[in-house]
Amino acid sequence: MHYFDADILILGAGGAGLRAAIAAAEQAPEMTIALVSKVYPMRSHTVAAEGGSAGVVQAHDSLDNHFHDTVAGGDWLCEQDVVDYFVSHCTPEMIQLEHWGCPWSRKPDGNINVRAFGGMKIERTWFAADRSGFHILHTLFQTSTRFPSIRRFDEHFCVDLLVEDGRAQGAVVLSMSTGEFTAISARAVVIATGGAGRVFRQNTNGGIVTGDGMALAYRHGVPLRDMEFVQYHPTCMPGTGILFTEACRGEGGLLLNKDDYRYLQDYGLGPAESEPRNKFMELGPRDRLSQAFWHEERRGRTVTTPQGEAVLLDLRHLGARKLKERLPLICDLATQFMGIDPVTTPIPVRPAVHYTMGGILVDINTASPLPGLYAAGECSSVGIHGANRLGSNSLAELSVFGRVAGEQAVRFARSAPAARRLDQAGAIEAKALSLLQQKGGGERHAPLRAAMGAAMEKGCGIYRLGPEMQQTCDTLAELKRRCADITLEDHSRVWNTDWVSAIELGFQLDVAEAMAQSAVARTESRGAHQRLDGFERRDDATFLCHSLAHYQADQPPTISYQPVTITHLPPAQREYGALGEQLDAASKDKVHD
Amino acid sequence: MSEQRPFHRPMPANWWAHKPYLSYTLRELTGVAVALYGVILLAGLVCLWLGADAYAGYQDVIASKLSLLAHLLLLVAMLWHVVTWFQTLPKTMPRLILHGKPVKPQSITAIGLLVAGVCSVALLAAVVALGAWS
Amino acid sequence: MTDIPPALEKSRMIQLRVLRYCPSSDSEPSFVVYNVPFSDDMSVLQGLQAIKADQDGSLSFRWSCRMAVCGSCGMMINDEPKLACETFLRDLAPGPVTIEPLRNFPIERDLVVTVGDFVKKIESIYPYIMPKVPKSIEDGPYLQTPAQMAAYDSFADCINCMLCYAACPQFGANPAFIGPGAMAMLQRYNSDSRDGGQLQRLDQIHGEDGVWSCTAVGVCSEVCPKQVDPANAVNQNKTRSALDFFLRFLRKAPSP
Repeated sequence: MHYFDADILILGAGGAGLRAAIAAAEQAPEMTIALVSKVYPMRSHTVAAEGGSAGVVQAHDSLDNHFHDTVAGGDWLCEQDVVDYFVSHCTPEMIQLEHWGCPWSRKPDGNINVRAFGGMKIERTWFAADRSGFHILHTLFQTSTRFPSIRRFDEHFCVDLLVEDGRAQGAVVLSMSTGEFTAISARAVVIATGGAGRVFRQNTNGGIVTGDGMALAYRHGVPLRDMEFVQYHPTCMPGTGILFTEACRGEGGLLLNKDDYRYLQDYGLGPAESEPRNKFMELGPRDRLSQAFWHEERRGRTVTTPQGEAVLLDLRHLGARKLKERLPLICDLATQFMGIDPVTTPIPVRPAVHYTMGGILVDINTASPLPGLYAAGECSSVGIHGANRLGSNSLAELSVFGRVAGEQAVRFARSAPAARRLDQAGAIEAKALSLLQQKGGGERHAPLRAAMGAAMEKGCGIYRLGPEMQQTCDTLAELKRRCADITLEDHSRVWNTDWVSAIELGFQLDVAEAMAQSAVARTESRGAHQRLDGFERRDDATFLCHSLAHYQADQPPTISYQPVTITHLPPAQREYGALGEQLDAASKDKVHD
Repeated sequence: MSEQRPFHRPMPANWWAHKPYLSYTLRELTGVAVALYGVILLAGLVCLWLGADAYAGYQDVIASKLSLLAHLLLLVAMLWHVVTWFQTLPKTMPRLILHGKPVKPQSITAIGLLVAGVCSVALLAAVVALGAWS
Repeated sequence: MTDIPPALEKSRMIQLRVLRYCPSSDSEPSFVVYNVPFSDDMSVLQGLQAIKADQDGSLSFRWSCRMAVCGSCGMMINDEPKLACETFLRDLAPGPVTIEPLRNFPIERDLVVTVGDFVKKIESIYPYIMPKVPKSIEDGPYLQTPAQMAAYDSFADCINCMLCYAACPQFGANPAFIGPGAMAMLQRYNSDSRDGGQLQRLDQIHGEDGVWSCTAVGVCSEVCPKQVDPANAVNQNKTRSALDFFLRFLRKAPSP
């Protein structure tokens, strides 16, 4: 066992983790910040985000508009005080990224350009071509190298947190290249390990998005909030699930069914017009678009491809020049992976799991109920996404709350007692080694992973039924039991991915169970959680509240509920398209009365 | 003590003879052709300096069939040298932006070759004209 | 409720010869042959994942995004440096396909090579904006026209996949050579209109471990999956390196 003493430990070096590290290093240059990541930072899944990051800039836009769009987009499950804080800090953070070198796309005069995005009334999405996450991540990583106080532990996999005296005091991490353990002690810990989309069979996520930090916090008694809300991104590559950014639609792309019909107008998002119109049709929110696909499939109006049913994303009318300039990555993906040139041919797309709205319960300061433990980014539930996330709010979240987490961790560490080297680190190492050293006879974990993905896809899909969700819960419980008895094929120490992915599977099963149990318990439909078993409507009387999943080890989690903070936008009917415009206008009239 | 034991695979000694380095190797060899022709030219100069007899002997060698073949090969090599020289030129230049768009390396190569071609032809024509006039 | 889409029929087989190496049990790497059923849309990465899931769970390789943007999955496929996630088995059929770790790097395990030195190189070139003109957040963003962005944006597209290092024979001969990828990043910052750090970044380009190991082989730019043109980044800095050498000499000359 090696030891490293830090002041602050950050788990995860994606957008949120890097932003937290930079914030902490700037605020407290005298502190040692250990930044742990199971991959090199530029491989973090932030890199795959394409569309952009929200921040109010236009004169005719306002923070109130961004607030309204976000809260309505979240189907009123958002913590409105947190959303207020969020929208007022997005633009300064985007400017900060620009100062650090982020190559935001510009207007001809050199000013920042913004594009339209789903569910947003006015254009406020800053973008760097169609590789915004890539550029944000590289900017943050490269800027972080300026700070010698950030001590990186690249390709170190976190096996468990160190929690003692009711406080988070560090973590035990495994070096991929040596197979040896290091106990990192710290006075404050920030979890920024990303989402858990890989628990579903078809998803846009990279292999590393396995909910590690969520599971770790959860196992140490921190509730996971709103886990039933999983975002299906409507336009993904059939088969691989690779993402075709919402920006395709922001630039004017159309969604057609097999009859070349813009079917979204049949689902309350119309009327269809020749020019794109914010919050109408293809610029509606992701949950509504994915749900429309589901219905089109049931009606037999989708296109059949070898990888499953799909609809067509038509970008032809954008023209070659605009496509190459604004959506170059999309063109590459369609050409290389599907043999399709978007200039001449529409692209078959279908929904796939993309984002985990829920996560580690934290307050507006990114503090979890466990003292010394903070969380930011997709792994957290800080309260801005509610039941459905708007595109481009997530990249903004990384910067806004990444910075908060870094600063709050500094504040806590300044007043916390020094962290000690803990005996329990040895026990954590022994537990991980027992899995490594267990010889012969047990099951392999690959089939369990496949079964988990299939069960989640079936029971926790775009539309859900009680009995199917329950079946998924039962399957997951069974898989957890089987997972406890697996045997590895690889017993070596150097780069043993068999071992690490087995531990990841354990994390995933716990997180998946929290998702499925929270889903079956919510007997209403809201945002991304939609049911077809008698609970088709939103039930504010009973369910205008967050779910909290509490870990129970070998038993399913218990689910409790927590009220939503409503400040200045009382719940209203959530509509888009023409009806949405009508209701907006009516409510504005009310205000002026 | 960790189990790490990184394994080093040395580069094959004949890497330059295999794809994708063959065209690079050929390009570099054309430099040898240039040097060889330089030696031939230098030999001619030395013979001139040595006197009319020596120079006559040099002209005989130059006019021989073997020499003509060698010169043909050297010419091909030197032309290839020129082409690859202009292909490499844009690599050494900072990115040029004209009217907001980067200038393509192929354009620089094409312009360079054109100018080189025009100048060579002009020089040749001038030499021939001078010779005919005198 | 969601119907699970049928997987594309995996009706054909292809042979993958993978260079395996486990330091605790092998004295040196050796090839292991796997027969993998494949469908038209499968990448080499998916082929490796199929081996790991169905045949041998001990096979180790780096991967993540599956869409050629994270830069993890660089390896030698039929002796060419490629990203496994965007190299398709249908284009390599009928096979056999030879898969080895990235050339010119030490092998740690199977298809995993040591990349720490590369990361140190990119950290060494001051890879961040050192602003010409300081600005506070309240002052807003810097102005940068599309033409100014065109001066550096293709260098900013580098995904740090290191295929260029595998392609570079001079890096193979001299592992301390700063190399194409790091130079692309250096040039990205030097060409950014907001940056004023060109002088600081001069030290890294001098000498044999700077740009002068480069002999303009140019294969780095050929294999780059993002058309970054690292060869240009290295070679244009030869002029700067030479100029700095002479200017420094002039500066040292005594004034009359």
